[in-house]
Order: sequence, then C-alpha cells, then structure tokens
Amino acid sequence: MQLIEKLRDTMQLTAEKPDPALLPTPKQLRRSTIAAVIGAAFIGIGVYLPAEYGFDPTGVGNVLGLTEMGEIKQQLAREAAEDDLIHGEDQSSLMHDILGLFVSAAYAEETWQDTITFVLEPGGFTEIKATMEQGATLFYSWTSEGGRINFDLHAHAGGESVTYEKGRGQTDGEGSFVTPFAGDHGWFWRNRDDEAVTLTLQLRGDYSAIVRDE
Amino acid sequence: MSSNSTVLHALASRRVTAIFLTALALYASSVAQVLAHDVTPGDAGYIQEIWGVHVISFIYLGAKHMVTGYDHILFLLGVVFFLYRMKDVAIYVSIFALGHSVTMLAGVWFGWGINAYIIDAIIGLSVVYKALDNLGAYRKWFGFQPNTKAATLIFGLFHGTGLASKIIEYDISEDGLLWNLLAFNVGVEVGQILALFAILVVMGYWRRSERFMSQAVVANVIMVGLGLWLTVYQINGFLTAA
Repeated sequence: MQLIEKLRDTMQLTAEKPDPALLPTPKQLRRSTIAAVIGAAFIGIGVYLPAEYGFDPTGVGNVLGLTEMGEIKQQLAREAAEDDLIHGEDQSSLMHDILGLFVSAAYAEETWQDTITFVLEPGGFTEIKATMEQGATLFYSWTSEGGRINFDLHAHAGGESVTYEKGRGQTDGEGSFVTPFAGDHGWFWRNRDDEAVTLTLQLRGDYSAIVRDE
Repeated sequence: MSSNSTVLHALASRRVTAIFLTALALYASSVAQVLAHDVTPGDAGYIQEIWGVHVISFIYLGAKHMVTGYDHILFLLGVVFFLYRMKDVAIYVSIFALGHSVTMLAGVWFGWGINAYIIDAIIGLSVVYKALDNLGAYRKWFGFQPNTKAATLIFGLFHGTGLASKIIEYDISEDGLLWNLLAFNVGVEVGQILALFAILVVMGYWRRSERFMSQAVVANVIMVGLGLWLTVYQINGFLTAA
C-alpha cells in the first residue's frame, strides 16, 4: 500500500479528474448496462453458439449461415480426437479394407495401373491410399465431376507424417510424389460443395495395394 | 483524521485493485484456449475447408479475433482510459482503426508476414507505452508529451501487421480472398465497437467513484506490468520456436 501511495505522489497523471458534467448519469449507465446484457445474450445465443458448436436454438445462426461453420468445426474437432485415438495406439490395419470393388484396371489407359471411381455426397468423405515402401514413387491424375472437392494428400506411419499437398474447391489435379517413409500414402477427400461429386482417380507407380479408410 | 482517511483510501484501493485483477483473470482464462497463438484450430480448420465469398462468416471471425485478442483490448483500454468526451473516444478509436486496417489489408494482400512472436512482442510494448503515457511518465522523464494521436496511429499500424500475420496463418482461399478479407476487417471493427461499449460502461461506473484518480494510477501500473509480461512471453516464444 505504501508503494501505491508513493506512486501516486511521484506520478503526475497526464489526465485530469473527470468533469462530472461529462460523465454518463447513473440512469444512462443503468440503461447501457441493460443494453449490454441483452446484446451479449443475443450474440451468445444467436451467433456464438451456432458459429462455434452448430447449436442454433433460435434459427438466427442458420439465417446468417453461421451454423454451418459450427458444424464444420465440431466435425473437425471430432475427427481430430479420433485421429489422436488412432495414432495414440499403434497403426491398425483392421481399419483398412482392400478396395477391389472400384478398381478397374482393365479399362485404364495403358500407362495407369489403376482407375478408381467413387461418389461423395455433400459432406461426405473418404480416404484412399496406396501402400508403398520408402523411396517409392506414385504418379497420379484425378478429375471431379458435378462439383468441387477438398483434399489432403498425406501419409502417417510409425510416428512419422508428411503432407504432400492440400487443396480445396478444386476439380482436377495431377503430379507425383516420392515417399519419405514406408506406409500408406494417399488422399483424404471431402465434398464441401452443394452437389454430389464423382471423382475419378488414376494411379501408376510402385505400390503393393490400394486401401480405403472409411 | 487524515491518517484515518489514508487507511480507508488504501483499503478502497486494494479492493478495487482486487476486482480489477479478478476481472482481468476471468477474461484471461476465457481466452486462454487461444493464448497459444491466437489462431484456434477450429477457426483455421474451418477456413481451410471453405472457398468463395463468405461475408458473414468472416465478419464473425474478425469480431471474434478482436474480442478475444487480449493485447488489442488492453491497448484500447489504455487509449480510452482518460478520454471523457465521446468525441475524443471516436477520434482516437478511428485513428487506431485506420492504422490497423491499412497494414492488415495491405499485409495480407501483399503477403507481408512478419514473425508472429516479434509483432506480438511489439504489440505488448504498445500496451506498456500507452500505460506509461497515461501515468505521465514521458513528461516526467523527458520533459515533454509525445503526440498521442501519432502514437495511436503508429501502434495501430503495428497492431494491423499483427492481424495480417495471423490471417496469413489462417491460409484463406484465393477464391473470394478480397471480399472475405474486407469482411474480416469489418468484423474487427464490429468487435472493437462491442468491446469498447463494454469498456465504456465499466469505466462510466468507475469514473463516477471518488477514488477513480488514485485507482487509475494503480490500474495503469498493472497495465505496464501486463504489457511487459506479454512482451516477455512472446520473446520467450520466439526464442523457443527458433
């Protein structure tokens, strides 16, 4: 307390004491406080809850288009938690089932080893990866029909991870990558568009199998 | 009699200081989840999933960024601390808004990303500067009062550079970037007005109290401390990350 007394004596404030005439009256302050509380409640329920949690009791969030934001955030949070769970344990191959159904090698161009076609509804997602050794190369080419697609071309195995490319709202892509470590390398696809999207993915390179995570 | 009033004085100071600190602690804990670099995975994750023009979403994100940006709020509190006329509040806040809008928009558009720790350390120093200014330190130490409007503008430019660095980290799609960026800027100003309203209501009650002037000294000393803490925290982050 002595310190405060000393500070008060040594510091000359830049400012002057407020002139009571300039200050809001208690009545004005009460009104402002009520307005602030009502405003905070409205923003909290009508805007914050929809935009963060996708919970929209009033429907205001939906009108503003913020409920979708909350739903996406919640979905991402769930996926991050599941991801932690999976990678906390050791990689399980039980999650994988060999994708044979959509693979139609016979019709592929000579150069492509596999052509994979699948449909994603709006909000739908899937993961398609190639099982590869370290230092192996994969060439790819893909196109989407009916809408645009988001993707994350990546891999993670045995505590290592790599992101080759991320994209959103795209309709085609091609290229290649070389694996820095052995494991399943490939795409997480998600349809954030308004229509169902048909994706055609062509692959060529040094891989032993194609796996699909649901 | 006089010693009696001094004791009362000190007690009242202590209580208000406690309330002030409690309020700050509550605010700090409510934004603690974004303390580790402001960009919450949720917002960044959402932004990285979308493309095209989303005006209302980006207004919301801009406002959220401002309201949960404790460093911007502290500086704003320092700026309006001794502004009693609404006209002055409007002038200074507009100067600050002009400053941070210019560097925010230009920074993202031209990709002037500065290391977020460095810019946040400077923003911490802006809080220290303004609180010392409020305490009359420059007049006492150097015998003159630096131009307060110029300081608000210059620090506004730094705050905008900080905002730009965060937005670049968000990685907004090129598709619709300009409109989304402008919407984000509008949101920052909306968030600033909301925060300002709350600050002015609280200051309105406080300024009516007899003890305001003496407690103002304590509050600004605390703000110097908080600003220094922010600066050290960010420099530490920079050194750890480097």
